[in-house]
Amino acid sequence: MNFDYLWTGFAVALSWQNLLIGIIGCFLGTIIGALPAIGPINGIALLLPIAYTLGLPPESTMILLAAIYSGSEYGGRISSILLNVPGDAGAVMTALDGNPLARQGRAGEALMISGLSSFVGGIIGVVGLTLFAPFLASLAIGFGPAEYFVLMVFAFATLGSMVGSQPVKTLIGCVLGLMLATVGLDPTSGAYRFTFDSPELGDGIDFVVLVIGLFSISEAMLMLESHAMGAAVIGKVGRTFVRWKDIVFTTGATLRGSIIGFVVGVLPGTGASVASAVSYTLEKRMSDSEGTFGKGDMRGLASPEAANNSCAAGAFVPMLTLGVPGSGTTAVMLGALMLYNIQPGPQLFAERPEIVGGLIASLYIGNVLLLLLNIPFVGIFSRLLLLPNWILVPGILVLSVVGVYSTHASVESIILMLGIGCLGWVLRKLGFDMAPIILGFVLGKVMEVNLRNALAISGGELSILFQSYISLILWVLALFVAVGPWALQRWSRRGRSPGMVE
Amino acid sequence: MDAHRHAARDRLSNRIAAIILLLFSLLYGYAGSVIEFSFSSDPLGPQVFPVMLAAILGLLSLIYLFVPGEGEAWPQGTVLMRCIALPALVLIAALLFEPIGFAGAMFVMTTGIARIFGASWKTSLIGGFLQAAVWYVIFGYLLEVYLPVGELFATSRRG
Repeated sequence: MNFDYLWTGFAVALSWQNLLIGIIGCFLGTIIGALPAIGPINGIALLLPIAYTLGLPPESTMILLAAIYSGSEYGGRISSILLNVPGDAGAVMTALDGNPLARQGRAGEALMISGLSSFVGGIIGVVGLTLFAPFLASLAIGFGPAEYFVLMVFAFATLGSMVGSQPVKTLIGCVLGLMLATVGLDPTSGAYRFTFDSPELGDGIDFVVLVIGLFSISEAMLMLESHAMGAAVIGKVGRTFVRWKDIVFTTGATLRGSIIGFVVGVLPGTGASVASAVSYTLEKRMSDSEGTFGKGDMRGLASPEAANNSCAAGAFVPMLTLGVPGSGTTAVMLGALMLYNIQPGPQLFAERPEIVGGLIASLYIGNVLLLLLNIPFVGIFSRLLLLPNWILVPGILVLSVVGVYSTHASVESIILMLGIGCLGWVLRKLGFDMAPIILGFVLGKVMEVNLRNALAISGGELSILFQSYISLILWVLALFVAVGPWALQRWSRRGRSPGMVE
Repeated sequence: MDAHRHAARDRLSNRIAAIILLLFSLLYGYAGSVIEFSFSSDPLGPQVFPVMLAAILGLLSLIYLFVPGEGEAWPQGTVLMRCIALPALVLIAALLFEPIGFAGAMFVMTTGIARIFGASWKTSLIGGFLQAAVWYVIFGYLLEVYLPVGELFATSRRG
């Protein structure tokens, strides 16, 4: 296999400018992860337009965003352990065993062990990405429009069955995203669709406006409600040290978590929250012989932490090779590449090695930086949890307004962002997830173009969608992920005696 | 009893959402089917994909209508007022953005939002002033992002 792209990448990522951007990103990412309620997706949404207006080249923007992404997966554990309030969705499982450890006065040890397992997970994930991505890219080079279309169907099927507890709402979110993507000029026919003769909508709905509205405005409104529940109490960090015994004890859990995290990350659309939940549940089933999980077992801490970091790296695999994001956060990054008029896909490895390689190399460097940053300075980051909401939320909103205004220089776009944000808030209250909307939006144009190109090749025959082996396999996989979990549940319920059903 | 009433209201708001989505899918599907175009190089044209999406959304919202699932409780009283005040403050800031400039608009917004997050008037005003100043320095001078100075000040400077 050819790894030239990686050497090109290290040359890019080690330039002093990109190294500095990486350090800033790791630092900001850890803070974003540590602060309750803002996670990687909000952080990236807020900083993307600023990076773009500063005129950073695409590879530097990607390095910044990737550093924030991995940084926040590290930082998320801090508030989970100390406050029992997960810093982001991927750190929910970390709180289950992390917070009991803190209450036993072992917060320092818990932060160290989880920092180490984050590092191991991160590195295993990046190695997986390095090895697997070129392979998948070489496979995908043979994809025609029909295969791409079926691939997107598969992506939405996975999303529907794995993300959130309410598949109908997840799928509605995807379709709404796809619909939003149809607004604007249709390049094939030159027709304007759903623009209502407004020149602003001619170019379509702006990605930055949509993402900031959906994530940061609605988040600020949700924080207003949780705020009413009272102030948090932060436990003492205590002594920070690692016992060799604990490292040996958690090695198995860390390695298993890393592998599960990577696999879940590669699956389209399923991010860190799914990865850490799957790995925690599995680890509990495998190792919890004495019933210590949930009461402060180091293994229950190591496994989900390794998984969410490994997942972050795995999520780049489908994004970089197929143009299908592996998580909500990579969906935003995909949108960022599109702002630069770069369409990710298998050709990206050959055509833009500085972007792909630079990003992957920066993940290696970033994980080392994050370990160095997170081990000695964890006490400083934990102080940040004392930052009151009346400083934090106005700050987030200033960033939102600046971000939107800086890409458009129009007040109308700020008002549009507000409207989208209020709508997003209503949807979130109803139990909808925002990530599927973004995924639908970034995939919408590509999905339609590929469908139409496929049918143009076949002269309108639908059979082209079922012709090649690859599309057939993808159809079967899509059917399997859509129906599989449901069938499995029914089957296992039938297997039990009626008395065992809860 | 309270929990029961809450669950019923929750289902109701989900059902209302399902009906709105259903109506939206009809509207979107209709608007999609009447898109005008003179020429298309592919057999599908610009209409078919939107109509397809409308059909899928229609079907999904029917399922949603009958299986409404669950959401969170709606805020009430003061919390609801604050939930309205927050976007309203951002809207006011957006409208003030060009007339009084970035720093002024952000001062109004950050002060107001600090207030609804429970800070006292004094802390809110100090916090708002500091945030407006700090962000203005970061964006206006360090990062050199284009931001409006404010028409009021700009005209007086020109004059």
